[in-house]
Amino acid sequence: MHSLRLVAGKCAGAEALAARVLLADGTAGFGFTLNMDAGMARDMAAWDALGRSRAVPLHSLLGGSHRKRIKIENDGNPCISPDWTALRKGILDNKYDLLRIDPFAWGSVEQVSTIAAAATAFDLGVALLAPNAHPWEVQYCAALAATIRGDDARIIVRSAFSPEVLVSEKPGAGIDWALEPAFLKIQWQS
Amino acid sequence: MSIPLTLVHAGSMYVIQKAERTVVELTLENGITGLGDTWGTPEVFAMAGAFGKAWIGKDALDRFALRTTTLGKSNYDNKYGRNGRAAYAGLDLAAWDAVARSLKLSLAELIGARRRESIDVVSTLPAAILSKAVSRDELTKHLDDLSNTPKVVDFALQQVHKFGFRSFKLKSAAYSPEWDWKLLNELKEAMPHARIRFDPNANYGPATATALCKRLDPLGLEFFEDPTGELEGLARLKAAVKTPVATNMWVVKDEQLAPAIRRQAVDVVLGDLFMWGGIDALRRMAKASHAFGLKPALHSVYETGIATVANLHLASALPEVEYPNDASLHFMSADVLKEVQEVKNGAMTLPAGHGLGVTLDRAQFERLALERTVVAP
Repeated sequence: MHSLRLVAGKCAGAEALAARVLLADGTAGFGFTLNMDAGMARDMAAWDALGRSRAVPLHSLLGGSHRKRIKIENDGNPCISPDWTALRKGILDNKYDLLRIDPFAWGSVEQVSTIAAAATAFDLGVALLAPNAHPWEVQYCAALAATIRGDDARIIVRSAFSPEVLVSEKPGAGIDWALEPAFLKIQWQS
Repeated sequence: MSIPLTLVHAGSMYVIQKAERTVVELTLENGITGLGDTWGTPEVFAMAGAFGKAWIGKDALDRFALRTTTLGKSNYDNKYGRNGRAAYAGLDLAAWDAVARSLKLSLAELIGARRRESIDVVSTLPAAILSKAVSRDELTKHLDDLSNTPKVVDFALQQVHKFGFRSFKLKSAAYSPEWDWKLLNELKEAMPHARIRFDPNANYGPATATALCKRLDPLGLEFFEDPTGELEGLARLKAAVKTPVATNMWVVKDEQLAPAIRRQAVDVVLGDLFMWGGIDALRRMAKASHAFGLKPALHSVYETGIATVANLHLASALPEVEYPNDASLHFMSADVLKEVQEVKNGAMTLPAGHGLGVTLDRAQFERLALERTVVAP
C-alpha cells in the first residue's frame, strides 16, 4: 500500500492510496482509493490481479458486459450511505427508483454485486458515483456498471464530464495507471 | 438419458422409479470441454439442442449476452417458460465449467470463492415405502393404513446407517394429514437430533396446510417446504407458525423475490439451479434474499453427479447458503462421472481441480443415453 499525490483532472493535489496484490503465480494487480479506505483498494487490486492473471477484463469475471459504453451524468442527488439497514428500508418504503451508490464507500465488488442483485429483485436502476470524477474512478465504475442489468445503469459525477465512457476490454479492472505519474514511480516492495 | 432409482419415489407430484436427465457437453474453441446437466424431458432436451446451435461462435465468458440471446432481456421475453430456463441452465452450467477450466479456477472460485470443502447434504425420504411405482389410487390406499408409517422411519434409519445423514426431506403425498403427522412424530422420536424438512409440494390447500403445520410446530422441524401455495397462502401459514417456511416453487424468478419479501411469505428461498435458469440467476437470488433477511438454500431432485457437484460448488462459493444441500445422487443406480461422489457422515466433498473437477465416464454415458443431439459449426 502506498500513498500518492494526484495530478489528473480536478483532483490535483489530492492524496490517494494505491494497493498492490501479488498472486502466487507472480501476477500483480493494483487498486486505489481516494477515501483512504485501504480495504477498498485491496479488494480492487485482488480483482485486478485475477483478471490480469487470466487475461480477462473484470466484467468477464462477473458474468459479462451488458453494454460497451456507460453513460455519465452530472447528478447532484445524494447517494445512499453504505448502510444496509437504511438501504433495505428505503427500498421497502419505495423511496428509490434509482439506487445511487458510491462503490468506493461501499468498499467491495461483492457489495456492489449484492446491491445490483437487490436492484434486480425490486426492479430498480443502479447508478455508480465517481465521487471525485477522477478518471480512475470513472474507469472502475465503468467496469462495474457494465455488469449491472437494466437500462438505468449509469455513472454519476458531481461536475461536468464527458457524456459516456467506454468499458475497457483490457485484462483486469481496466484502470489506466499511467494517468498518474506518481503511481508509475512507486517502488513496490517484494 | 434415463437412470433407474434405487427407491420408488413417492410424493404429491408423482411416483417414479427413474430419473430422466439431459447431459450437456460444451466445447470451446480452445478445445476445453465443460459439462452440464438438466431436466430430461423431451421438451428440455430439444430446447437444449436448439439453444446450443445458437451459441456457436458466441463468447462463453459473456453469459449475460448468452442469456439475452437465448431467453430474451426479461422473463416476459422468455417464450420458452420454465422449460427454457432449465434448458438454458444445462448449457450455462457447461459454459461455466468450460470457462472455469480455461481460467484454471474451480467453479466455486469463479462463482466467488472456495470457502468450504465439505457440504452437508439432505436425504430425500419418500412419502411411503413402495415396492414398485403405483397409481395415485393405490398410493392413497397405502396411506389410509397408518400402520405403514414405520416403514419410512426404517428407511430413514438405513440412510443414517449407510451414509451418516443428519438431515432429511420428507416428501408428502399431500393426501392424509394424519399420515404426515404420525410419520413426522415417529421420525422425530427415532431421530431426535435430525434436521427434518417437510415437503408436500404445495398440494395441501391453505386451510388444511395451516392446520397441519400448527400441529407440527412443536416438533421443531427444520422448515415447512411449500406446505401450500401460492405466496398469499404461504404468508398466512407463516404468520400462524413458528417453524420456518421455505419455497422452491413460488419464488423462482427475480421478479417473484420482492413480493415474497414484502409479503413476508417465506423464511427460506430454496433455489433450484434449473428452475432459476443458471448460476448467475441463482447467485443473484442468494445475494438479494440474504440482504433482506431471508435464507437462501439449494434445492435439487434426482440429478446426476454433474449437477450435484455444481450445487456443492455453489454452496461453497455463496456464504449466504447455510442450510444443507438437497442431494439425491445416492438414490441413483448409476452416474455419468468417473469420480464417485460419495456421501460420508452426511456430507459430500468438493472435487479438486478446475471447473467442476469431474470427468465424464464415456462408457456409462453411452450405456445410459437414450438419444443424442450433436450441434457443431
